Amino acid sequence: MNLLPSAATLAALVKIGLLVGGLMTAAAYLVLLERWIAAWVQDRRGPNRVGIPLTKVKLFGLGQPLADGLKIILKEDFTPSGVDRVLYNAAPLVILAASLAIFAAIPFGSVLPPLGIPGLPDPVPFLVAPGLDVGVLWVFALSSIAVYGVLLGGWASNNKYGFLGGLRSSAQLVAYEIPLGLGLLGVVLAAGSLRLDTIMNAQAETGVWYAFAQPLGFIVFMVASFAEAARLPFDLPEAEQELVGGYHTEYSGIKLLLFLVAEFLHMITAAFLIVILFLGGWHLWGVTGSSQEIGWIQALLRFGILSGKILGVIVFFMLVRWSWPRFRFDQLMNLAWKVMLPLGLVNLVTVAAVEEFRPQLVAALGPGFAGAVAIALPWIACLVGWLVAGVFTPSGTDNTPILTHDPLDIEREMAEHERLERAPHDVSPTLAGSR
Amino acid sequence: MDPVSTATASPSGLLLAGSVAAIAASLWLLLPKASDTVASRRLGFLLGAVALVGFAATGRSLGSVGEDAVFLTVAGIAVISGLATIVTRSPVYSAIWFAMTLAGVSGVLLVLGAQFLGVATIVVYAGAILVMFLFVLMLAQPSGMAPYDRVSNEPMLAAAAGAVLLGLLTLSIGRLSAAEPPACCRMPSRAQALAAAAAPADGAAAKDDESTTLIAPAMAGGDTGDANEVAHLGAELFGRHLFAVEVAGVLLLVALVGAIAVVSRGEATETDHRREGR
Repeated sequence: MNLLPSAATLAALVKIGLLVGGLMTAAAYLVLLERWIAAWVQDRRGPNRVGIPLTKVKLFGLGQPLADGLKIILKEDFTPSGVDRVLYNAAPLVILAASLAIFAAIPFGSVLPPLGIPGLPDPVPFLVAPGLDVGVLWVFALSSIAVYGVLLGGWASNNKYGFLGGLRSSAQLVAYEIPLGLGLLGVVLAAGSLRLDTIMNAQAETGVWYAFAQPLGFIVFMVASFAEAARLPFDLPEAEQELVGGYHTEYSGIKLLLFLVAEFLHMITAAFLIVILFLGGWHLWGVTGSSQEIGWIQALLRFGILSGKILGVIVFFMLVRWSWPRFRFDQLMNLAWKVMLPLGLVNLVTVAAVEEFRPQLVAALGPGFAGAVAIALPWIACLVGWLVAGVFTPSGTDNTPILTHDPLDIEREMAEHERLERAPHDVSPTLAGSR
Repeated sequence: MDPVSTATASPSGLLLAGSVAAIAASLWLLLPKASDTVASRRLGFLLGAVALVGFAATGRSLGSVGEDAVFLTVAGIAVISGLATIVTRSPVYSAIWFAMTLAGVSGVLLVLGAQFLGVATIVVYAGAILVMFLFVLMLAQPSGMAPYDRVSNEPMLAAAAGAVLLGLLTLSIGRLSAAEPPACCRMPSRAQALAAAAAPADGAAAKDDESTTLIAPAMAGGDTGDANEVAHLGAELFGRHLFAVEVAGVLLLVALVGAIAVVSRGEATETDHRREGR
C-alpha cells in the first residue's frame, strides 16, 4: 500500500500554498490600493509614511499593510455579552473558508510548459483542481455558502444592527444570484462548457471576447457581481450610516479581520470571474496565441496579462465605490427583479438563437459576414433591451409619502390644527406616546 | 446467501443488530424530552458513537486507505449532523446542522464521482432553500416557543422505527453490494477506472481486450474520471428525459403562480372596488 502522496497531490498542495499566500498578500496590498484611490478621489494624500520597519525609509507607504495587520491582530478580541458563542465564533471562519475554497476551481493563468515530472499531466495547468468538470457551479456553490457567515454573524452577535445587516445581506445575495446565473448561462452556452479554463480557451481561439459577443450579458453579470461582492452601490449589508457596521458591528480584533479579508476575497473572485468569463482571460490580441503548447516566456506573459486585467477590474470596482451613492433597499430589489432578470433572459434567448443558427448563417453568408452578424445581433438586443428597460421599468426612486390631500391647502391645514388644539384627547396613541 | 443466516448467525449480522439496538437507544435518549438529564444525554452520545462505529465496521473498503478516510470523514459528517439536526432543541441550530448534512452528502457524491449532483446539492439546498429557512427561523424568536414545541413527539416510537428502517436498508444494500453483479452491469471500481483512463494505450489493451471493452461503456456513461460528465448528463436529461424535465418545469411554474395568487389575495384591487359598485 502506497501511503506517500502522489506527484499530482504534491502539485496540488504547491498550487494551494502559492494561491493562498498570493491571495492573502494581494488582499493586504489591495487594501492599501483602495486607501490610495480613496485619497486620490477625495484629493488627500493617503497613507504614505510606513516603510521598512525600524528604519526611516518610507517607500511610498508600502509598509502600511504590515502595520494595519499587526494593529488589528493586537486589538482586544472582545465578545459582547448575550451572544450565541458557538455561532459567533464560527461565522468568520465559515465565510473565510468558503471564500478561499472558491479558488480551487478558478484558473490563475494558462498552462506551464511540460516539466517532465512523472505522474503529472503535461502541460501543467494553473488550476488547483483541474479535474473538476463543474468549475462554474463550484464557484456558485461556495459563494452561496459564504452567505451563512454573514447571516450567522449578524444573528449570533445579538445586535439589532448586526441582525438587520445579516437579513439585508442574505436577501440581496439570494436575489442577485439569479441575474448572475443568467449572465453566466450565455457564456456557458456559447463556450459549451462549465470549465473556466475551457471558456478562456474558447475566447482565445476565436479572438472575440464574450464581452463583445454578449454585451447585455456582460452588463447584467457585472452589476450582479457588484451586488454579490456587496460593494458600493450595493453595500447595504454594512451601510455605515444606517447600520453602524452591519453584520460585523459587534466583531473586533482578528475576527473582524477575517470578515474584512473575506469581503476583499469576494471582490477578487468577482474580478476573476468577470475577466475569465467576459474579458478573454489570459488572451490579448497579437500578444498571446491560442495554443496550449507554449514556452516559459509565453506562460509567464499569459499569467501577467490575466493578473493585469484583474487588477484593472479591481481598480474599476474601487473607483465605482467613490462615484455612486448607495441604493435604497426597494430600489435594489427593483433593479434585481424588474430590470436585471428580464435583461438577462433577453441576453440568454439572443445567445441561444445565435448559437443555434450559427451553422446556417455561416453556410448562407460565409464565415466572415456570419461572424459580424453573430456579433451585431446581441448588440441590437442590448440596445433595444436597455431602451425598453430605461423607458418602461418603474424606477422606484420616488419616496415621497402618499398624501390624501393637497399639502398646500392652507385652510384645511389650519382647520386641522385648530381641531387638534381644541381636542387634545383626540390625538392618536402613538403621537401621545412620543410627546 | 440465505438472508436469515446472514442476518443472525454471521458476526457482521450480529454487529448490525447490535448497532441498530444501540442507535435506537441513543436516539431515544437524545431526542428532546421533558425528562432529559445530563447523564442520559451523555449515555446517548456514547451509545450513538458505538453504534456509528458498528455501522462503519459492517461496510467494505473502497480500495485504498486514503479513499476510505475521505469517504468516512464526509459520510461521518453527514450522518452525525443528520442526527444532530433532529436532537437539537434550537431551530436555528437544527437548520445549521442540516446544512452540514448537505455538505457531507455533497462530499459523498464528490467522492463517488458525481460532480454535478454534489455541487448542485449545495447550490440548491444549502445555498437557496436553507438560507430562506434560516431567514424565517431567525425572525421568529426561539425564546417565544411553547414548551410542547420544544419536545419531540413520540420519541420512543420514532427512534425505534428509524433504527429498524436504518438496519434493514443497511442489510439490503450491504447484501446487494456484496453479491457479484452480472457481467452486463459490472462497473469498474474508481481505482480501476482511473488506471484505465490514465493508461489506455499500453497494459490494459494488450493484456485483455474484453475487460477494456467492458470498462469503456461504463466510462462513457458518466462514471468517475469522465471529462465530459456534465455534457453527458445534459444530453441524457434533455434527450431521453425531456418530457419529465418539462413537466417538472411546468409544475414549478404553477407553484410559483399559485404562491403569488395566494399572497396577493390580501389586498383589494381596483376591480374589487368597481365590483362593489363604488
